[in-house]
Amino acid sequence: MSTASKGRKARLLQVRVPVSGRQALISALGVWIAFFGVWILASGLGWVNPILVPPPGKVFATIVRLFAEQGFGADVLISIGRVLIAFALASLVAVPLGVAMGAFPAINAVFAPFVSAWRYLPAPSFIPILLMWFGTGETPKLALLFLGVIFFLVTLIADHTREIRKELIETALTLGANRRVTVFQVMLPAVLPNILVAMRQMLAVVWTYLVIAEIVASTTGIGAMMMRARRFLKTDEILAGIIVIGALGMACDMAFALLHRRLFPYLEDKR
Amino acid sequence: MSALLQIQNVSKTFDLPGGQALTAVDDVTFAVEKGSICVLLGPSGSGKSTILRMIAGLETQSSGAVLLNDTPIDGPGRERGMVFQAYSSFDWMSVGKNVEFGMKINGVPAAERRARAERFIGLVGLSKFIDAYPSRLSGGMRQRVAIARTLANAPDVLLMDEPFGALDAETRWQMQELMIEVAEASGTTMIIVTHDIEEAIFLADKIVFLSSHPGRLKEEILPTFKPGRLRNKEDVIALPGYAEMERKIMRMMREEGHK
Ligand SMILES: Nc1ncnc2c1ncn2[C@@H]1O[C@H](COP(=O)(O)OP(=O)(O)OP(=O)(O)O)[C@@H](O)[C@H]1O
Ligand SMILES: [Mg+2]
Repeated sequence: MSTASKGRKARLLQVRVPVSGRQALISALGVWIAFFGVWILASGLGWVNPILVPPPGKVFATIVRLFAEQGFGADVLISIGRVLIAFALASLVAVPLGVAMGAFPAINAVFAPFVSAWRYLPAPSFIPILLMWFGTGETPKLALLFLGVIFFLVTLIADHTREIRKELIETALTLGANRRVTVFQVMLPAVLPNILVAMRQMLAVVWTYLVIAEIVASTTGIGAMMMRARRFLKTDEILAGIIVIGALGMACDMAFALLHRRLFPYLEDKR
Repeated sequence: MSALLQIQNVSKTFDLPGGQALTAVDDVTFAVEKGSICVLLGPSGSGKSTILRMIAGLETQSSGAVLLNDTPIDGPGRERGMVFQAYSSFDWMSVGKNVEFGMKINGVPAAERRARAERFIGLVGLSKFIDAYPSRLSGGMRQRVAIARTLANAPDVLLMDEPFGALDAETRWQMQELMIEVAEASGTTMIIVTHDIEEAIFLADKIVFLSSHPGRLKEEILPTFKPGRLRNKEDVIALPGYAEMERKIMRMMREEGHK
């Protein structure tokens, strides 16, 4: 092997050296082309039962049809609404409580034992009792999503608040800051970027619980549509639902990434 | 009248995990006169930072007393400003806002605090960066922001924990001379921790030399060979008596090292 080609090969796989834009694009496209290639071949050449695995073209046509003719848009909006409402409620509780727990050991001493116990309970185990308490309306679904993330969100935010560098707080104190100034003008802005990161991570979890809630106990929403499709063996509609959920989750994630960049321009220079 | 700041028989014992205790500061007594510059010198682990933190009110002594104007210190306060050994910029504020922060929370009107911030940022040589975020600055530049931020808040006592350690030789020299200027102009009392013997002799009206394990006061050294405060470092180094004092302190350091 010549040294030149050896050099090029070695350059493709280097520890922590960023890849070029071209290499990144080729890599990303390559893996998706491979994925759809296998899918098309598998359904087209009859390796798999086309009723169980319809070809990608059919699935995408189904997505269009669902939105255009079958009022799927309403289901999607209902699902998005559930995610946003439940997540907003969870954040409304988790951000102040998490910051307070991270800032004040006395508050942490009250809530930490409680919160960490609940964290080990899988939220879906509450579904039967939630249905008995709240009936079949929106409340049990929102409650499940809320319970699914609140304890993790509180813990993450409390941890991030606790990790604020001691020097920042002590600098504020020796400049004459009282407790209110220290918490609201130093600790809160210091932890805010990490709060947003925690919210971004937990929003993905809310989507997971949404699908569980809609599959188990709902007649509306994306998950319910997929369960209806299952009854009539419409695998194309099930796969369409999966793709739409994936796309929505990705859109949420990108929105958060964008928000992070907008809100915290001072983090740009720091790598 | 007694000194502005009195450290009287102060000891500090830390409880370590596992039930052990570590005595970081053992029965240390010294006084700092109003308007003077006191330098804490000593090997690593001799309790310099711990003493400074007790004066700042960030740590409470295990025994003894720390008195400011004959009153025991009770927690941190703006009259005792501190520059930390580690990075302490508020990343979400520009350099200017960082320096204004102390004045802002103490109710200084906006126009006045802007003017003061500009002045002190100029004194530490960062005028060009007044609107930059700290993340764009080098470690040494951030440390100068911290110095400007503390000075602009006009504390009665300025506590600095190895403030110039991260600076290059030239900038360090400028900062040392700036400290002399500030002390002369505003009468600020300063307590400065350092490892650097040259820095200690140049800045100090009094050097408190600490020995390690546990941190004890070994000797108070008065650089009386200096005819008052000199603003030029090379003038101090050129004085008869400088070399002898430097040699004496080096010997003390070496003894500590061999312990
Ligand atoms: N919070 C703490 N908990 C336990 N031990 C501590 C704590 N702070 C300091 N110590 C110990 O006290 C001793 C003195 O530490 P200190 O930081 O005051 O030394 P120093 O003179 O400032 O050293 P250096 O020059 O390296 O900064 C050390 O042995 C250190 O390990
Ligand atoms: Mg130290």
